[in-house]
Amino acid sequence: MELLEVRNLKKYFATPSGPLHAVDNVSFVIPQGKTLGVVGESGCGKSTLGRTVIHLLEPTSGSILFEGRDVTNVSKAQLKKLREDMQIIFQDPFSSLNPRMMVSETVAEPLKIAGGMSREEVEKKTKQMLEMVGLASRFANSYPHELDGGRRQRVGIARALALNPKFIVCDEPVSALDVSIQAQVLNLLMDLQRDLNLTYMFITHDLAVVRYISHDIMVMYLGETVETCGADELFEHPLHPYTKALLSAVPVADIHHKEQRIALEGELRSPINPKPGCRFAARCPYAKEICHRDSPEAEEIFPGHMTRCHFVREINGL
Amino acid sequence: MDPEKKKDLLSIDGLTVHYVTMDGTFQAVRNLSLNLKEGTTLGLVGETGAGKTTIALSIMRLIPNPPGKIMGGEILFHGENLLKKPEAQMRKIRGHEISMIFQDPMTALNPIDTVGDQIREVILIHEKISKSEATVKACEMLEMVGIPRERYKEYPHQFSGGMKQRVVIAMALACTPKLLIADEPTTALDVTIQAQVLEMMNDLKRKTSTSMILITHDLGVVAKMCDNVAVVYAGQVIESGTAEDIFDRVAHPYTKGLFAALPKITGTRGRLATIPGLMPDPSDLPEGCSFHPRCEYCCEECCTGEISMTEITPGHFVRCRRIAELLAGTATKTVHEEGGA
Repeated sequence: MELLEVRNLKKYFATPSGPLHAVDNVSFVIPQGKTLGVVGESGCGKSTLGRTVIHLLEPTSGSILFEGRDVTNVSKAQLKKLREDMQIIFQDPFSSLNPRMMVSETVAEPLKIAGGMSREEVEKKTKQMLEMVGLASRFANSYPHELDGGRRQRVGIARALALNPKFIVCDEPVSALDVSIQAQVLNLLMDLQRDLNLTYMFITHDLAVVRYISHDIMVMYLGETVETCGADELFEHPLHPYTKALLSAVPVADIHHKEQRIALEGELRSPINPKPGCRFAARCPYAKEICHRDSPEAEEIFPGHMTRCHFVREINGL
Repeated sequence: MDPEKKKDLLSIDGLTVHYVTMDGTFQAVRNLSLNLKEGTTLGLVGETGAGKTTIALSIMRLIPNPPGKIMGGEILFHGENLLKKPEAQMRKIRGHEISMIFQDPMTALNPIDTVGDQIREVILIHEKISKSEATVKACEMLEMVGIPRERYKEYPHQFSGGMKQRVVIAMALACTPKLLIADEPTTALDVTIQAQVLEMMNDLKRKTSTSMILITHDLGVVAKMCDNVAVVYAGQVIESGTAEDIFDRVAHPYTKGLFAALPKITGTRGRLATIPGLMPDPSDLPEGCSFHPRCEYCCEECCTGEISMTEITPGHFVRCRRIAELLAGTATKTVHEEGGA
C-alpha cells in the first residue's frame, strides 16, 4: 500500500527578483516500509521538498496524501496529530539539538508535547528509545557538546522515533559523519526500518550512500524530477543525460577504474524565474533547439522508470 | 623519470605537535615522518581528528600558538629545516614556495576585495614587478583556472562555490609554488563541480610541475589524484606506500576497515561493514597501538609499547605488530560485538 503520495507539488519562494521555483511539479509515491532516495546537487530543492512534505513549509500548490488521506491543508490541531506520524532527522546533528537540553530531555520532548503520558511512562519510553538507537544509558544525562557526531545523530534518530511515526524524512543524516561512523548510522536506520516497518524519504547528495539504503531513487535538478526508478535500475541503466553525468562524476575508490566521465560545462543555474524549456538544457551535451523552447513531459519509458527528456530514446538507442 | 630517482622535496621526520588546553594535552601529531618526492602528489587520508590539518599547518608554520605547540621533529624543505626559520623568512616562503588551499572557499576569500585584486596581492608581495604587470599576471591566472578575465573586478559573492574555489587555486598557484598543500579542496563542492576542479588541478600540476600534498577523507579522490598515500590515524601514519600498495594490497586492519565501510557506487542495497567504536580521544590515547580497541585482530602484545613501522614490500610501510601473521593469513580474529555506542 502507498503510505505517501505526492502529486504535482510546488513550493515557490518570493524573492526581490521574482519567484524562486524551489520545488516544481514533483510527484512520487512511497509504499509502506520502503525507502525513496532523493538525490541532487546543492540547490536542487531536495531539502525543500522534504520539508514541504511534512509541513515544515507550506506547499504553494499540489497535494500530499498520507495513508490515502489528503493532508495538504491541515489545521493546527490536525497538524499536531500528523506530526506523530511524520518526523524528520536533520543533517547537522549539532545545530539540530538544543545545547541546553540533556539527551533524555531532548528525546522526551516530543512525548511531552504529544501529551497523554505520565512522567513515569515518559521516562520509561525515553530509556527504551535510547536503547533502541544503541546509546548507552550513561549518556542520558549528557549534553550534546559532550557527544561525538555519530552519537549526536543517534539522539536525533531517537527523538524522531519517540512518537512511533510511520514516515521519516531523513535529510542528509550521515553527511556530517566520518566513513566508519556513517556506516554504523546507515545500518541502524536500516535495522529500524526492518523492525518497525518504517517508511523513509532519504535525502542525500551522496550517490553511493543512496544506493545502499533506497528501494527507489528520484533524481532532482533545479526543482524538477528528472528521473525516478528502482535503485539498481538507476545505477545500471540511467536514462537521463543529467543522471548519467552525475553518476560518471562520482570518484571511485579504485585506481584501476576506467573513468568515462561525461563532462558538464557550467554550473547549476538560478531557480529564480526559470526560463521555459528543459532546465538542464544549458549544460546538456545533447541539447537541441526544442530543449531550450519546450519543457519535456515526464514519461514512463519502462515500467516504473520515469524520466523527463525530449531525446531520451535517441540518446539511449531505444 | 623513474620515481625512485626523484629527489625528496619535503621530508618530515619525527614531527610532534601538542595542543595544550585547560582540559589537558591533546597529542595531535605524534612522531610523524613523511616524504614527498618532487613532482608527485601525496594523499594524506584519515578521519576527522586524525591530525591531517595539523600536519599541513605545521609545514606552513601556521599552528595557532597557544594552544598549539610543535614539540619536536624537523620539516626539511629543499634540505632546510622550516621549523628553524625565522618568521620573516617563513613569510617569504608562504604563498611563494609553499602555498595552501583551504577547505572552505567561502571563508578563504576577502568579501570586500575584488577577486582579481586578491590574486594580484599575492604576486605583488612575492615578486618584484610593477602593479600593471601584476594585473596582467593575475588576469592570466584567472584564465588558467577557467574564469574569463572580464570577471577580474567582481567580488566573491558574485561567484558560485566552484568558481570561488578556482579563484583560491589561482591565488595559490600565482607564484608557481614548488609545493601546494590542498586541505579537502573539493569537500564543499558538488560532484560534477568537484570533477571539474580535480581535473583542472591535475592539469595545472602537469603544466607547472608542482608537487602536492592532498588532504582528504575521500578515497575516491585519492584514487584519482595521488601517486603515494599515507593513512593517518590518531596523529600517526599507520600505513603508507604507493597508490597501488594502498588500493590493491591494503594491509593494515584500519585501512582495510575503512575500505570495507565505504559505500560503493557499484554496491547494492544492504548493510555496510563497520569499524566498531570511535576514534580515540587525543587527550587520552590508548597504550600500545592506538587502533587496538577497535581492531578485530587485537591481542595482548598490541596493548603495550610503541609499535614501529614494518616495511612489508619495498616502500610499503605498515604500523601493526601482527602484520606478519596477517600477511601469512595465520592471524586469528578476536571477536567484537557490533552495534552500540
